[in-house]
Amino acid sequence: MQKAFLVDGSICLGCNTCAMACKNQYHQDDGILWRKVREIGAEDYLMDNNNILPTLTSYQKAPKVKMPMERFYFSLACNHCENPACVAICPVGAHTKDPETGICKHDQTICIGCGGCVKACPFGASKFNTKMGQAEKCSMCWERQADGKTTACVQSCPVHAITIIDLHDPKYKEYANASPIGIDYAINAETHPSTRFILPHMPKEVYRQAKG
Amino acid sequence: MSYSKEKVESILNNGISRRSFLKGLAASGVLSSLPGGILQANEDLNTKIPYLGQKNYQTFRNACPRNCYDTCSIKTYVKDGVMQFIEGATESTYTRGGCCVKGNSYVKRVYSARRLKFPMMQVGGKGSGNWKRVSWDYAMETIAKKLLEMKKEDGTLLGAALTKYSGNFGITHYGVEGMFNSIGYTTRLAGTPCWPAGIDAQNLDMGDMWCNDPEEMKDSKFIILWGVNPASNSVHSMKYIYEAKSKGAKVVVIDPVFTEAASKASQYIQIKTGTDGLLALGMAKIIIDANLHDQKWLDANSKGYKEYKAYLDKEIKLDNVSKITGIPLAMIKELALSFVKAKPATIWMGYGMQRHTNGGSMIRAIDALVAVSGNIGKYAGGARYGHLSTWGFNYAALSQTKPEGSVGYTGPEGAKGEFAQVGGEKAAYTDRFLNINKTARELLNAKEPKVRLLWVACKNVFSQDFDRNQLIRAFQQLDLVVVADQFFNETVKWADIVLPVATQFEEYDVNVSYWHYWLSLNEQAIKPLFEVKSDVEIAALLSKHMNKLEAGSCTFPQSVDTKAMTIKEFNPGIYEQFGIKSWEELKNGSVKAKAVIPYADGKFKTPSGKFEFYSDKALELFGSALPTYLEVRKPYDKFRMTSPHSRWSLHSQFQNLEWMEDMHPEPYVYINPDDAEAKMVKEGDTVAVFNKQGLLRVKAKVTDNVQAGTVLMYEQWYNNNIYNVNELVDDTSSDMGAFKTGAPGVALHDTFVNFRKL
Repeated sequence: MQKAFLVDGSICLGCNTCAMACKNQYHQDDGILWRKVREIGAEDYLMDNNNILPTLTSYQKAPKVKMPMERFYFSLACNHCENPACVAICPVGAHTKDPETGICKHDQTICIGCGGCVKACPFGASKFNTKMGQAEKCSMCWERQADGKTTACVQSCPVHAITIIDLHDPKYKEYANASPIGIDYAINAETHPSTRFILPHMPKEVYRQAKG
Repeated sequence: MSYSKEKVESILNNGISRRSFLKGLAASGVLSSLPGGILQANEDLNTKIPYLGQKNYQTFRNACPRNCYDTCSIKTYVKDGVMQFIEGATESTYTRGGCCVKGNSYVKRVYSARRLKFPMMQVGGKGSGNWKRVSWDYAMETIAKKLLEMKKEDGTLLGAALTKYSGNFGITHYGVEGMFNSIGYTTRLAGTPCWPAGIDAQNLDMGDMWCNDPEEMKDSKFIILWGVNPASNSVHSMKYIYEAKSKGAKVVVIDPVFTEAASKASQYIQIKTGTDGLLALGMAKIIIDANLHDQKWLDANSKGYKEYKAYLDKEIKLDNVSKITGIPLAMIKELALSFVKAKPATIWMGYGMQRHTNGGSMIRAIDALVAVSGNIGKYAGGARYGHLSTWGFNYAALSQTKPEGSVGYTGPEGAKGEFAQVGGEKAAYTDRFLNINKTARELLNAKEPKVRLLWVACKNVFSQDFDRNQLIRAFQQLDLVVVADQFFNETVKWADIVLPVATQFEEYDVNVSYWHYWLSLNEQAIKPLFEVKSDVEIAALLSKHMNKLEAGSCTFPQSVDTKAMTIKEFNPGIYEQFGIKSWEELKNGSVKAKAVIPYADGKFKTPSGKFEFYSDKALELFGSALPTYLEVRKPYDKFRMTSPHSRWSLHSQFQNLEWMEDMHPEPYVYINPDDAEAKMVKEGDTVAVFNKQGLLRVKAKVTDNVQAGTVLMYEQWYNNNIYNVNELVDDTSSDMGAFKTGAPGVALHDTFVNFRKL
């Protein structure tokens, strides 16, 4: 089984509820977000102003689509990759991949704060907490899931734009190899990230006032 | 960092004294140079704790009392007396398990190092920044003495003014008004900056402001979101709109701004700002000319349809409608005809649209359009604006008797605001009402007696009111300004005494919405932190001190318990409406009012009992009986500036929290690419935006989401950032509002500015 986030950009409001729900659950230190809502902007949308995803540009295949600012979004946390770089690089085994769920877990009681995972993750999912001298990242709320609840982000989304799917379930086959706008870097990455996206689209009819 | 019991205890016990320099200051009573210093809690490092499993938490019922359509039902998880996290309560099909970005920041709101913790006095004078921590007793005795001294010198307490608005709509918070009712006749800043022109418009047309259940929108066949952006400001409503859309309904957004909601609609139509009323009149004319109007409903349920049709025939020229609104005629025709053919169809009107000098008339025109289409009184139809039909509480905290011998105002009586419509007994005297939307000039101009003491509660005056320079003058001439708040905001800077207020998690309360139909109990989930008190506890303490100095001078109970106060707000009417036997049932989750379709019985509370196209009251008050086209305010500067609500804040609340800053750290001005090019402004440049009122420095975002000739800046208050969009807004009134809320609204979006690159 490989649990995966399915993010529906066609209905995502960009409201950031998911990211704040994560803070609400885990009280990440000020300045740290495990989940981040990113704007799908114009042709430069892979450019992340906050420099959270510096490595993304190396996968850049963004098409030149002009879309309005601050209107289309995708929400991204840890991709819980099938072949996670964090697990491979962690020298003390603080990162593990759950064989049953496919969730990449990080154990802070073991983490020595070497920062290897932060450097290795192509998606910037692992964050370095300078106060603690340790790494931290999205756990896909495995404790909540074990308790019969869904993740904080999924529960909180007012329009169900995030859901959790099993990438290996034939039901979700169409998403397993989907290659959405600008996100194909993810699927082609060696780590085989699991997050899947449904593309946003403009309203069928948009009328704007003539200039002046 | 998470909030463990140990950590919270250490903040509570040692927050100040562990820093030796602060210890010295606190012990000696010497001033701290900055309130931030004395307020700074110790943010200790703590490893994160994972989710511990449902059985390891105590849960409580809470509700979001801020001024928002969604008024979410909250379930709060507490461990060892410390809030761990919240969830949207699943019992409410409206909240459905999720809060919004703001609601999800509540844990930080409660435990933020920026919270006000102790009563303080600004001993160096207003704005000096010289603060001294004082005891509650000292603060309240100072206020009580001042009030009694004023009463003695003026022979009345009309020199004491209260300004309170939408920072907390919990019902027991009307205890603040109750506190002022219980000391005598006083001065009130009355009215509402939010939605008054629209309230008047809907009351003139239908005798009430009463909207259908938003959950019905899922079954609408055609939805027009007119000047409303639920994708930012009512996120939980979007699921019903999506559901309708997925079932084939057309969702059209009409807005000057290509909003987040517009980006998710079937069709977006950009309209020239302030011409919406004309578009509605034009659409109605097209519908009537095509003989698609609901003649049967109009005959049975309306008054003045003939006169209205005659006006449309004579005055509304479709070519003109197209030219003035900037929308092609063919598009208007297609919109009007497809709207009227879809049944049921509904229009949701936002509160921004009525913030124009012609705002009320625009809402009237849209009401009329919905009436013509036959969608009023229908399931999944309706002219939606808001409602107060579930607000029938006792307002026990509000209803206090005046002390014997109180002397008050003998001028004309004003209305008391839209939420608390329960009045006291008719007396020879009344309170004195000043226009809340002109707070600065009203405070400066009030005479006999002049205002000497101002109490601010549930409101950040400097962020929300207009004409900052005048406000500073008005505050400085007051003898005593008391601000009760949770954070050190702009208004606190100009206060003499600041009182730290409890969050809803630290008190009992009860909440309903002005949009959906759910009722939520708010339980006390944690003990109040530091020395914070709820608004009613503050009222009780004031009462205690006033009575100690002069027995009988304040009738408010001298000790209260927020739980007992909350229970007193319930009555058989509420129980009947919500189908419960006791308030205690709400501990199991929120409950919804029994379904009612507004006006389905054809009964309107207008003088004629019908939907009034022709309103004698409107003629008397506003000079026009019919919903007619009224031109918007003429520009007084180069660019129109609109200041809508942001998704990051509710007026001045939430954006100041550390967690919110992680997502949205700074303000922007949004400029159309054509205008940006003409002014040589590029994305990210710092620009000065200025007009006759003031100047703001802010970073530019260049986007054709706003139309040429318009700039947009969100209304927000940041921590340690002097940005305040209202510095550019004057206090020009909208056309309506005085009828129902005591004062006209403000034409916020008829602000004009210029800008240049810095």
